[in-house]
Amino acid sequence: MKHFMTYTLWFLLLSAAVNSQAALRVVTTTEDIAAITRAVGGAFVEVASLTPGTRDPHFAEAKPSMIRKVYQADLLIIVGADMEIGWLPPLMQSARNERVQNGNQGYLDLSLVVPLLEKSHGPVSRAMGDVHAKGNPHYWLDPRNGLRMGRAIATRLGELDPKHRDNYQAQLTAFEQALEQKITGWQATLASLQGQPVIAYHRSFIYLADVFGFNITDEVEPKPGISPSASHLSQLVQRIKSDQIRLLIMEPYYEQRSARYLNDQTGIRIAVLPQSVGSLPEIKTYLDLFDRIVAMLAQPGEA
Amino acid sequence: MFSHVYRLVPLAVIIGILTTSLPARAEENSQALRQELTELKEQTRQMQRRYQSQLDRLEQRLKQLEGKDVPATDDSLARTQTSSKDSGNPLQIGLSGLFAAGGSNADNDELEGLQAGGHDPNRNGFTVQNVELSLGATVDPYFDAKANIIFLIDSEGETVVELEEAFMTTRNLPWGLQVKGGQYFTEFGRQNPQHPHTWAFVDQPLVLSRFFGGDGLRSQGARVSWLAPTPWYSELYLGAQNANGETVTSFLAEGAGGDPTDPETIGGHPLTDRDGREQSDLLYSARWLNGFDFSDTLSMNMGFSGLIGPNASSRSTETSIIGTDVYLKWQPAYVQRGFPFVSWHTEILQRRYEAGNSSDPSQETLKDWGLFSQALWGFQPGWVVGLRAEFAEADGGASTDDDLFRDRRKRLSPNLTWYPSEYSKLRLQYNRDWAEHLDDGNADSLFLQLEFNLGNHAAHTF
Repeated sequence: MKHFMTYTLWFLLLSAAVNSQAALRVVTTTEDIAAITRAVGGAFVEVASLTPGTRDPHFAEAKPSMIRKVYQADLLIIVGADMEIGWLPPLMQSARNERVQNGNQGYLDLSLVVPLLEKSHGPVSRAMGDVHAKGNPHYWLDPRNGLRMGRAIATRLGELDPKHRDNYQAQLTAFEQALEQKITGWQATLASLQGQPVIAYHRSFIYLADVFGFNITDEVEPKPGISPSASHLSQLVQRIKSDQIRLLIMEPYYEQRSARYLNDQTGIRIAVLPQSVGSLPEIKTYLDLFDRIVAMLAQPGEA
Repeated sequence: MFSHVYRLVPLAVIIGILTTSLPARAEENSQALRQELTELKEQTRQMQRRYQSQLDRLEQRLKQLEGKDVPATDDSLARTQTSSKDSGNPLQIGLSGLFAAGGSNADNDELEGLQAGGHDPNRNGFTVQNVELSLGATVDPYFDAKANIIFLIDSEGETVVELEEAFMTTRNLPWGLQVKGGQYFTEFGRQNPQHPHTWAFVDQPLVLSRFFGGDGLRSQGARVSWLAPTPWYSELYLGAQNANGETVTSFLAEGAGGDPTDPETIGGHPLTDRDGREQSDLLYSARWLNGFDFSDTLSMNMGFSGLIGPNASSRSTETSIIGTDVYLKWQPAYVQRGFPFVSWHTEILQRRYEAGNSSDPSQETLKDWGLFSQALWGFQPGWVVGLRAEFAEADGGASTDDDLFRDRRKRLSPNLTWYPSEYSKLRLQYNRDWAEHLDDGNADSLFLQLEFNLGNHAAHTF
């Protein structure tokens, strides 16, 4: 018993020492937020994402390893708008970290600093499928929202770590300039997409449509989160033909059989777009993400 | 907003033109007409959608111009908004209903012995397994609280209401500590604290029914848990709960024996009316849970649990139960709605039950043990196949052959579950039982289970 107590004390002391030396510990729910935080936080922050970029953040699970990360965090940054509703509440309860509880300075919900699209105007029923009443949470797919997210993160980092406030602002300015310049370039590259009808697998690309001016006229899913039936697919075939829709965009984690069927029937081009930083190993920064998306939209990707 | 109305005018005109163009085609056969009509409807629908998205966009811009939107440079607003937004809907309310239909070559009496869990389908015909109302919220900056109230219809058709759980947990104790107090499921193993609607099979593992009774081990008490500052996830739970009451089988619960002719005995030893008299009559529990991520795709939980408390055999006898649980889950890098996945969950439990007081020459320690091992494969979105294997036996005491809770039993249960959405499920399960107490030695049963979930979003816990 005596030994146990001694070891425990050593553990506590050691961990306290580690804690005091480390940079500001930031935990994000997605790799996209992590990438932006790295860009504006630089060497003064230590960033970890709870979910990998290959996964749909809506369907993550509160894994034990996440509990430790949130427990140690100085700042937790989330997508919000119910994106993490299925796993963040139990995680927060297990993590017992007051600093990052909702309402405290270590909690930042980025859905509150961007204009959300598709806020529901009427009553929402689950008969509509998995509808997010607070608005569509895939807003990081508009690089203009990336600017807003970057500003909010830099401001918050400066509040939590006033010593480095100027560094955060300087890194933010560099991030903003690079991104703004890129946005102009991306929009020019995709000018021909303006006004074009496009089919998406899930309702997750409306922000991308918004920034590049194309219209998502239909989804492969009849309702969000509901898998397409054969009859729904045959209706889509009709619509693709009659509307002359030439592009179908989808995330890499959805089943591709439906898309391949539509491609077989109509020849529609399928672009499997990376939806997040880290969804492909070479996409390491927020700018990489759109470089890749734009490249895939501009020319045929693999079917 | 008047601008909406103006924006809708062109839409109305277009719809008008489209519909007036219909009569022109009236001469053609009705088949073509119907076709045309569907297409037009589709076009209108698409147009409506396009206009709606444009409207939304315009509305956003308008808001930004009017300055109602959050300025992107200042997130102090975000903070105040956060609290006001959540205070609008502080209470999470959920209702889940779990129903089953079953058929077996065992008769209803036998089936009740085989399906000993309080929420197990245990009849030829229909069973209301569990209707559960759950309420939860953050109480104040210091506590979260949760209550689960269950409604059951028993074999006499009477509705039974049970306060299954009602407890509060602390939110922000220092040093990684958390205290939970109230009426709650004892954190022993992985399965015991789970609610029926999150089970992977229609029924409770038989070793849990034997050691913890039909309702699982739960009682009034308090526990403290400590998140150890180890590089991996490691949490230690220590708790004390009342040892009496019908949900504390193996301890002071009365009439919980498995001998159908005399439930007031265990292994041939009579149970006494021993109420909790002193502090030492509490049930003490410990659990050490560890979690590891081997990679982005493979994670594991491993736990060790122990219980010690007084039992109803005499005034001085005790029961101890120890258990180990392992849970492994694999998910590939790309998953759709959480699929595909493979998981494996195994628990082994052992019970030592001191039976008979010290003056009793027949005093002995009854040693029972059991295990279950279950694998699930979510092979495509919404579809899961599972297989569970179970074993339980006992050593010591009177002949165990006719004792429902102490005979040697094996059970194999394959099942198939379909989740139409996150909020509903349909499950088909086949149970093959081998039990010494059965006349035939074995039984075959088939169950169909249905579930709905209303209210707050079901949590995806690992």
